[in-house]
Amino acid sequence: MTRSLIWATTTLMALSFAAAAAAQAPKPGTPAPEARDSLGAGADRQLARRKSWEPMPPPSDPRDFTGIWEVPNPKIDLKQDDGKDPPFKPDEAKSTQRMIDAEKAGNVITDASTQCFPHGVPRLTFAPYPIRFVHAPGKILMLHEVGHNVRVIYMDKKTPPKGTPMSFLGYAVGHWDGNTLVVETTHLNERTRLDMHTSHGPKLKVTERWTKQKTAQGYTDLVDVITVDDPDHFERPFSVTRRFAFRGDLEATEGAEGVTEYSCEENNRNVPSADGIVTTEVKGASR
Amino acid sequence: MSLSLKIAVMGAALVPASVAAAASDPWAGVPKAQRPAPGTPDLSGVWAMPAPIRVLKTADGQDPPLLPAAKTAYEKNRAALKADPKSDPSSNCWMQGVPRLVYAPYPVLIAQEKDRVNLVYETNHTFRIISLRPGLPKEGPDLDPQWLGYSAGRWEGKTLVIDSLGFNDKTWLDYSGLPHGEKLKVQERYTLKGPDRIEGAVTITDPDTFSRPWTTTFTLVKKPGYELKESVCVRDHKM
Repeated sequence: MTRSLIWATTTLMALSFAAAAAAQAPKPGTPAPEARDSLGAGADRQLARRKSWEPMPPPSDPRDFTGIWEVPNPKIDLKQDDGKDPPFKPDEAKSTQRMIDAEKAGNVITDASTQCFPHGVPRLTFAPYPIRFVHAPGKILMLHEVGHNVRVIYMDKKTPPKGTPMSFLGYAVGHWDGNTLVVETTHLNERTRLDMHTSHGPKLKVTERWTKQKTAQGYTDLVDVITVDDPDHFERPFSVTRRFAFRGDLEATEGAEGVTEYSCEENNRNVPSADGIVTTEVKGASR
Repeated sequence: MSLSLKIAVMGAALVPASVAAAASDPWAGVPKAQRPAPGTPDLSGVWAMPAPIRVLKTADGQDPPLLPAAKTAYEKNRAALKADPKSDPSSNCWMQGVPRLVYAPYPVLIAQEKDRVNLVYETNHTFRIISLRPGLPKEGPDLDPQWLGYSAGRWEGKTLVIDSLGFNDKTWLDYSGLPHGEKLKVQERYTLKGPDRIEGAVTITDPDTFSRPWTTTFTLVKKPGYELKESVCVRDHKM
């Protein structure tokens, strides 16, 4: 089945994620990520779920990310690990608040992804869909189910080639720091947002540190510590963390290796205004 | 070239040939457990057709064996395309189907694994993940048709063979409007001929469209050092 119907609800889901995130923001003093797993609070109750996800364990090599990973508790926001908002510069704080207010007023917020453009980084990493990691000579691929986004991480380069153009997913170079895959992404165009509300500029540099981590119950998470550095929008670099669960069960999906066909273009009906806001008003409808 | 007009190629920079030192082991850095078995032909890298193929012909240069109704549909598609290039389903930025995606005039990155072959097409950042384990779904009304169908691959000697079925009927088989139905089955064959050339063959079976299975051929040449550009096709976008 194509994911168009699911896509159609993505924007509304984003609204509820944002609300849920606001309600569940961890309090200061929350244990460091190492002590949690991707299921977060209430993990005990979800062990059966987790067990079904790992009918076979992921590769034991800590530098082998091959397989499908999915964030079980998706949050499309920029809350730092201590629950605080990012250190917005005043203009960005205003801009972000304006989007939040528009959303609270009942409007649907759109961004590049809701118009079927690639999501941008780290927006793509926040999306609640599976990612397949592929190791290839000189590169690591991240094949995202959502909108068939493809990220190529160049492991054989230290810096982007001269003349690299700006693009939705930028140019990513990677290297290993111990068993942590460090990915630095730059050349990200300004047509995407970092989450649903916050903008960025051309100086954006996103550094991801991806590490496999055993959970207390013996399952495997892939943890991504994402550092956002954009001096035009934030007072200083800040980090957010996402934890992905291994989804070995999805590999059984026939003919798709766990990544279901997702055709965003089949449902491209919500055209936003110039500032990215779609009103949900329907002419003649009573609400 | 309606496709090229519709597609905004975001990265226009020509990338110089890779300056990476020629490693003795081309698989260095790839986890051992994921490397293809020794002796497996190495299709890794970026490939492209030397010249675009816009009209599919049989291997011996004949017109495909269209059934009468399909021939009428083909003529209709061709007339519509002539009148308005936007009548091409690819103008909607839908996934292009198989084998048309294979014939798109843009490169493809092949990433081989022990259990899979990943085909990442520059065309609108579309990818196919081909399992090398048995597991093609059963055809029939229970199978939800997809743009790129369902695929399973295997090595037959030195040839990578990919069988696909379960397609929707919204795509064309080529750029000229060659139609197909939902009973379409496609077999692709990729044979490495020297380090820089793949000889390809596509066999098309569709009893509602063609009087018999037929085969068409193509060549892929390696593009060393080429990096896939970000290509984005979005219909009627307002950004």
